[in-house]
Amino acid sequence: MTNNFISLDKVNLHYASVAYKERSLKSWMANALKTRRKKPVISDIHALKDVSLNIQQGEKVGLLGHNGAGKSTFLKTIAGLYPISGGKLHIQGQVRSLFDLSLGFEPEATGRENILYRGLLLGLSPKFIGEKEEEIIKFADIGAFIDYPIKTYSAGMQVRLAFSISTSVGGDILLLDEVIGAGDANFMAKAKARIASLIEQSKILVLASHDFSSLKSLCNRGVVLHQGEMIFDGEIRSAIDIYNKVNGIAI
Amino acid sequence: MNPNYIQGIWNTRYFWIHLSLSDLRSRWRRSFFGVFWSMLQPLGITLLISFVFSRFFATDITKYAPYILSGILIWDFLIANVTGGALSFVQADAYIKQCQHPLAIYTLRTVLTALIVLMMASVPLIGWVLVVMPENFGICWLSVLCVFPLLVLIAWPLATFMAYVGVRFRDLPPTLALAMQALWFVSPVYFEVKLFREGGLDKLVDYNPIYHLLQVIRAPLLQGEWPTIENYLFCFSTSILFFMLAIWLGSTAERKVIFYL
Repeated sequence: MTNNFISLDKVNLHYASVAYKERSLKSWMANALKTRRKKPVISDIHALKDVSLNIQQGEKVGLLGHNGAGKSTFLKTIAGLYPISGGKLHIQGQVRSLFDLSLGFEPEATGRENILYRGLLLGLSPKFIGEKEEEIIKFADIGAFIDYPIKTYSAGMQVRLAFSISTSVGGDILLLDEVIGAGDANFMAKAKARIASLIEQSKILVLASHDFSSLKSLCNRGVVLHQGEMIFDGEIRSAIDIYNKVNGIAI
Repeated sequence: MNPNYIQGIWNTRYFWIHLSLSDLRSRWRRSFFGVFWSMLQPLGITLLISFVFSRFFATDITKYAPYILSGILIWDFLIANVTGGALSFVQADAYIKQCQHPLAIYTLRTVLTALIVLMMASVPLIGWVLVVMPENFGICWLSVLCVFPLLVLIAWPLATFMAYVGVRFRDLPPTLALAMQALWFVSPVYFEVKLFREGGLDKLVDYNPIYHLLQVIRAPLLQGEWPTIENYLFCFSTSILFFMLAIWLGSTAERKVIFYL
């Protein structure tokens, strides 16, 4: 059996600033013609600064930080979505991430077809999805709507279906951005139980959250991010204290 | 383009094939005639245009119509890939933001969808030619089958290149529509080659990859001949050029696309 790990060595990440400027051929050509007019300078955003971290098999890591501190960026970097601009990043193990659940349905296709597409997106085989299909439908609790196009679904139904598909398989490394609260109270309870079992199956968990009680109960290690820098790495309770101190929250 | 990238495209084959089939299903589900609409629509336009043009140029409508139809089919395919390709990544943003798959699979989806539509639409063309010009049928029709993989080799890198540019410059599709219209006027898509030659515009034919591409399907169907080596050379050179452009741009742009979505 291979040993799963996440290893970051002085990882830096910049968001390209061009992405936030006006982006059209028209303005690009206009800029090429007249360059003198002064404009507010928008520079690249340095979202992760020299982050070095090693996470070994069996560790459950909680990520703390206020909004914009780099938690989501950190998770998406580990998931391999964002290109790092410096440093080294090594991941061993299959990564399963739950980020933006409501994204990525084909609105014209039926729920049943979308189970297939999303399963395939996650890298599953058509055969495996076929076996899991009934279970997914049952968990999502959508009833006859499963054969209707997704565009007829309510927002809650979409999230429920997405959650049901995305959590039907586990992975070695589980990345969670907030413990998901989806649908009504009834579904929430089911969802929490499902997440708990996924966490149990996984070898490594990285959870970004503001909810101290779930962090304390799920994680044994805490990492605090502040303005893209890692300012603390250690026991989860101390991490929560540091986080509160940095952000001036009295306990 | 490293082997891992190609491996990634192969590993996700179920995904992009199903996305493409989903595109086709929703396209055909929306129309009353379903699949047949893809055949009827170009046929209808062809009848209209060839009725007018055959009067203009005093040609036989039954023979001029398949010329126009072949032009429409290939042209529609190119338009679908150039303007559709420019939007391929933008439309797939939800997938790109969630999973790290090779981005070229999203343009492959566009190309595959357009290819299947083209295949459906070529059935009436072949039927028409068999009825009106049965003497053209022969072994050289094999080259008609070759045109489909050839089209993929040209359209896929082209669509991918456009997709990288289109994600950076969001006003690309209307610009491309203009450019394609200009290209249409200087290419023998609807107008017969002899009109260009009579006007002393031989260069617009001889050095035009679109002409050579059209010949791959027109030579066997309309003249009962094999396409020339030159036709194929032009097609393959165009394909190689587009591949080089797409790989060159992709090597720097591939990982940055997610920032632009």
